[in-house]
Amino acid sequence: MSKATETGTAGRAGEIVRFTRRSARRYNRSRTSLPELFVDVYVSVLALGCAVALAVSFVLALRGEFAQRSATDGGLIADPVLVLPSQALEVLLTFAALAAVVVLGRRLGPLAVGGPESTWWLSLPVDRRPMVWGPFLRRAVLAGAGAALAYVPVSVLGALDRTVLSHAYAAATFGALVVAVVGIAALLQGRPQSVGLKVAAASLVVAGALVTVLVPSAWSFGAGLVIASALLVLVSSRAGFVPGGELTRAGAVSGHVGSSLYLMDSNELFRAVRAESRTAYRRGARFFALPTRGPFAALLRADVVAFLRLHPTPTTAVLWLVACVAVMLVDGGLPVFVQLGAVVLAGCAAASGFGTVARRAALVPELDGLVPVNPALVRASRAVMPAATMVLWMALLGGVLVVLGAAGPMLIVVSALAGIGMGAGTVRGASRPATDWSAPPVETPFGPVPRAQLAALLRGVDVTVLSLMPVVLTLYLGVVALPVLVVQAVISGVVFLVVAMTNPHG
Amino acid sequence: MSSRGTVLEAERLVVGYAGAPVCGEMSVAVGAGEVLGVVGFNGAGKSTAARTLAGRQLPISGEVKVHGLLANPDAVAFRREVSAVFDEDLFFPSLTVREHLLLVARGHSLPDPEEQVEEELSFFGLQERADVVPESLSSGQRRRTLLAAGLMRPASLLILDEPEQRLDPVMREALGRRVRSLADGGATVVLVTHDPQLLLDTATSCLVIDDEVTLATPEVAAAIIAGA
Repeated sequence: MSKATETGTAGRAGEIVRFTRRSARRYNRSRTSLPELFVDVYVSVLALGCAVALAVSFVLALRGEFAQRSATDGGLIADPVLVLPSQALEVLLTFAALAAVVVLGRRLGPLAVGGPESTWWLSLPVDRRPMVWGPFLRRAVLAGAGAALAYVPVSVLGALDRTVLSHAYAAATFGALVVAVVGIAALLQGRPQSVGLKVAAASLVVAGALVTVLVPSAWSFGAGLVIASALLVLVSSRAGFVPGGELTRAGAVSGHVGSSLYLMDSNELFRAVRAESRTAYRRGARFFALPTRGPFAALLRADVVAFLRLHPTPTTAVLWLVACVAVMLVDGGLPVFVQLGAVVLAGCAAASGFGTVARRAALVPELDGLVPVNPALVRASRAVMPAATMVLWMALLGGVLVVLGAAGPMLIVVSALAGIGMGAGTVRGASRPATDWSAPPVETPFGPVPRAQLAALLRGVDVTVLSLMPVVLTLYLGVVALPVLVVQAVISGVVFLVVAMTNPHG
Repeated sequence: MSSRGTVLEAERLVVGYAGAPVCGEMSVAVGAGEVLGVVGFNGAGKSTAARTLAGRQLPISGEVKVHGLLANPDAVAFRREVSAVFDEDLFFPSLTVREHLLLVARGHSLPDPEEQVEEELSFFGLQERADVVPESLSSGQRRRTLLAAGLMRPASLLILDEPEQRLDPVMREALGRRVRSLADGGATVVLVTHDPQLLLDTATSCLVIDDEVTLATPEVAAAIIAGA
């Protein structure tokens, strides 16, 4: 099929797209009254305004806290053996954000069509460019604008001495770079094996993070804009040649992610994002084939093998560990509560990442009844690998912190014990029931609180954070007290037992 | 097997998922005006074979050619020549039945699309439901809408995956006549079906899909289905 022939059908494709949109608009208008529209807009604007006001006041308060800190105020590590330059953390954060955009962009499309479009549009003998280019451009520009806005607090908190104009340039540069990397993700859809494109993406992410943080200026913004524009022009010329299967796949994943976000269902979000992840199909085959003694041993072996296959590499968990430690090594030291917050956040994120088996198994409750063992043992078996992995992760974190001088060697034991409860928390979170958004809020002295929804949303995170509390306390005190060690052991043991004994469907 | 020019050719084709075949290897050539029936037990791999012949799924090995070119739904020429109707219940939620069909008619540059759409609506008994959105349709009406879209557009190769599903006997008979008339007009049809009568009314030859794929006459294939 020649390119010229495909281009010749572009007009007809554009007409098809316009026809579909026009009909959809007409239908939607017929179902929406003006008062309803007004209420929707009013509520959205109000919610957005509240969210922005909260974010701004939080950032300003944090900035004030940062500014008041003197250079001699220590963090969790009083005299670290290794100190990172003050801007290293901001560079790392910017780098991580740009890398995440490339990875997520590639999974979500960014060139994509939804289910109906894939059935009714992609089968037509017309150029597909008009069908995918418009929505892509809208997504890329929105991602850039959103990223620029989200970068403002990072810049404001990362460089207290920077001028307002410098912050604006940093944010604008970051926004332009996000558009550029979304463009590279789109080009990779057509040529997924292209080494050149992968090298270009890596170079842009590294150089972009350095330039955005170290030399934000009109020049950096201009350069970002030129690169983004050039990549968009390139995507525009190739958008019609991305395989239909890839467009459909991307549409399915982005649709799944969109509905998960709308329903605030983190389990579905994980399932959507990891749907296309690499699976080590053959790993553990020999171990699995060994004879077993009793049904529980067989079940445990199946859970271990499934875990090893669905978590081929621990990359994400290692990155969280590095980020968590980096926060503590920044020159000048971040406030203690920020450092402790980073430990909790990294711990929850790493634990949640090890819940793939439990999340998939939760979709098929019948699986739990396949083996004739008590349901509590089934849940315990499912929690063994997340717990074992989190024991390792926490022991590693504790070890690094001991080497850096945060506390004595017993911190490793306390941390490892915390891993047991955190792993169990992952299984509890994975079997979280869908949030019932129709349940009425409960009246409290502080006003109506959506208690049922909050309980559902925090299920799993609650016990993960609880299991971390003794570690947090130890880090805050800087010494490992024996009672804390005992409390940690009790909390982790109780959490594991409670998770095993609790029927999520009961 | 092919009397006139070969339209669809599959050479040593193995179909399946993640490298695991779902049925035996098949080689087949179908000419213009022929109707190839595809039969087999549930799970034998009929739909997988149909999807592979339609280019929607890559074969494990072997190749599929349409008019001598490798099956590739990303090529405009392939999409122009091949119409495939699978049991995909995906519709634009805000487009009516008529608008869905108009979209297809315009996408294929049919002359006088409105009139063609009216003819299809009449053939499939959808006139009274033409201006409602798909969520207001019964499952059989949605199936008829999909079939109308697949049969309305010009195509030299038509692939139908169990088109009789969710259709009443009268509509099944009408569908059989329609398929036969399309073949008489020179179209090649691949018809995956569990309906012996539809097979006898339309097919010129059949593939029986199992661990081994064999060619059979429509009578033998219909007997196999009836026995199943």
